[in-house]
Amino acid sequence: MKEIRLATKILKTLVKDRIQYLDRLVVDTIGVIARCGILLILYWYVFKLSNGVINGTTFLFAAWSIFFYFSFSVLRLRDISREIMKDIQTGNVEVLFSKPISYLSYRMWWQVGSGIYSFVVITLLAVVALFFIIGLPPTMTIGIFIPTLILTFFCGAILSLFLYTIVGLLSFWIEDINPVFWIVDKAVMILGGSYLPVALFPAFMFKIALWSPFGASQFVTHTVYETWQTNWYQLVGIQLFWIVLLGLVVYFMFESAKKKVSVNGG
Amino acid sequence: MMKELYFALYAIKKNIQSSAELRTSFLMNIVGMSINNTAFIILWGFFVKSVGVIGGWTVADIIGLQGFVALCFGIVFSAGAGIRKLADYTASGAFDRFMLSPKNLLVRIATSSFGVSALGDIVFGIVCLSIYAFLIHATIYQILLIALLVIISTIVFLAAAIVIYSTSFFFTDASSVTGSLFELFLTPSLFHGGAFQGAMRFIFTFAIPSLLIGALPVEIVRDISLGKLLLVGVLAIFWFVISINIFNRAIKKYESSNFMTFGN
Repeated sequence: MKEIRLATKILKTLVKDRIQYLDRLVVDTIGVIARCGILLILYWYVFKLSNGVINGTTFLFAAWSIFFYFSFSVLRLRDISREIMKDIQTGNVEVLFSKPISYLSYRMWWQVGSGIYSFVVITLLAVVALFFIIGLPPTMTIGIFIPTLILTFFCGAILSLFLYTIVGLLSFWIEDINPVFWIVDKAVMILGGSYLPVALFPAFMFKIALWSPFGASQFVTHTVYETWQTNWYQLVGIQLFWIVLLGLVVYFMFESAKKKVSVNGG
Repeated sequence: MMKELYFALYAIKKNIQSSAELRTSFLMNIVGMSINNTAFIILWGFFVKSVGVIGGWTVADIIGLQGFVALCFGIVFSAGAGIRKLADYTASGAFDRFMLSPKNLLVRIATSSFGVSALGDIVFGIVCLSIYAFLIHATIYQILLIALLVIISTIVFLAAAIVIYSTSFFFTDASSVTGSLFELFLTPSLFHGGAFQGAMRFIFTFAIPSLLIGALPVEIVRDISLGKLLLVGVLAIFWFVISINIFNRAIKKYESSNFMTFGN
């Protein structure tokens, strides 16, 4: 009950803040246009050159898949690593540890709250724009699509939070986590289907994307393809496996990290 | 002019010495950034493998593209990392101390900070361009062309950075705005150059100079195109003159916050 109250309070406060100060929304919108918008125009041209089909996939499927990746990235869940590092470097972690709340829970809800407003607004606008410009693939109109999309989205969000929290918690042991962050982030970017949609992956890369936590955190990009209808439960199962495993890693790392902190007060 | 250059070199030297104090972090940043940049080669390499050659662009050209962009980025944001902090300087009032300095304002700002990770970009850029030269069996003429184009691209990159970060003087808290504008400039420069055709190529050459720092230099080296070289050279001078002009106009908008933040 206490946890739910904390989460609601954080989400409410941050959404109100983002509505009041729209600069983050502007930044995220320009970011999505710069990355996703330009990329879609380039892919449109590339598919046109290849007579509309590459690796058995059409532009319609590739475009929605790429869009789901960039829409998910607007949540900025990856920033939790740097927030944790900042807390540790500035000593803020000492203050937060002394409060009657779970530090990690607070940080995770804060991360969700700070991106949710931009995510909702940009996703809604972009979905409408994409629908009118390129249309919907038939796979997105069947009954199973929306429930499984929501399910894999939530699993992906939890997995991303755990993955980047592990990177952030490394700050208790190393002074600068940025190099580790870059490598993990780029692994997610490559295997998640950002600039290269998953349908265009070579076979071995597809397998790595399927079985690694980096690719699993972005399974939302798989939902538009026809294969999703038959193997969605397998992919969600993989996500749940990684959630449990990485959840345990986070737990033990955090327990070990707490022993390294000395709260001096003052 | 020589005095300003001497000052810039002195400031850069001191910044490097200061950054190298945290040796492990220093080295990890360089290595980490080099590995990080490899991601784009992997991505676009697989793209070429799946889609085939587009606009005459092969995997070698992708390596060249990443090399040019990484090297420009590394040169500008290692030695001149202070430019990226312009928005913070103006918002916090820390810009006052630069105005009080008798040195050239732009040089003073640029050299006020050093980007360690950008050294990784330099290393990565040099390695990529060496591989590129090897893969295309570059002649001496092409190698000289690569060296010349690195200088020209760096001028364009510097000019674009100055223009983008000069917008800091027009907004109350400009860090988000400058960040977005910079992303709008940098992101397309890392994309597959052969996919930019027609209106897109025109926009990202003349309105937003993203293709000038990577895609066009690669095409110039590959095709030994003197016409394109001339175009890139002229545009580099144009952007540089414009950027200095915009910066000088922009600083007139600054109002001192009277913070007592003298010194570093």
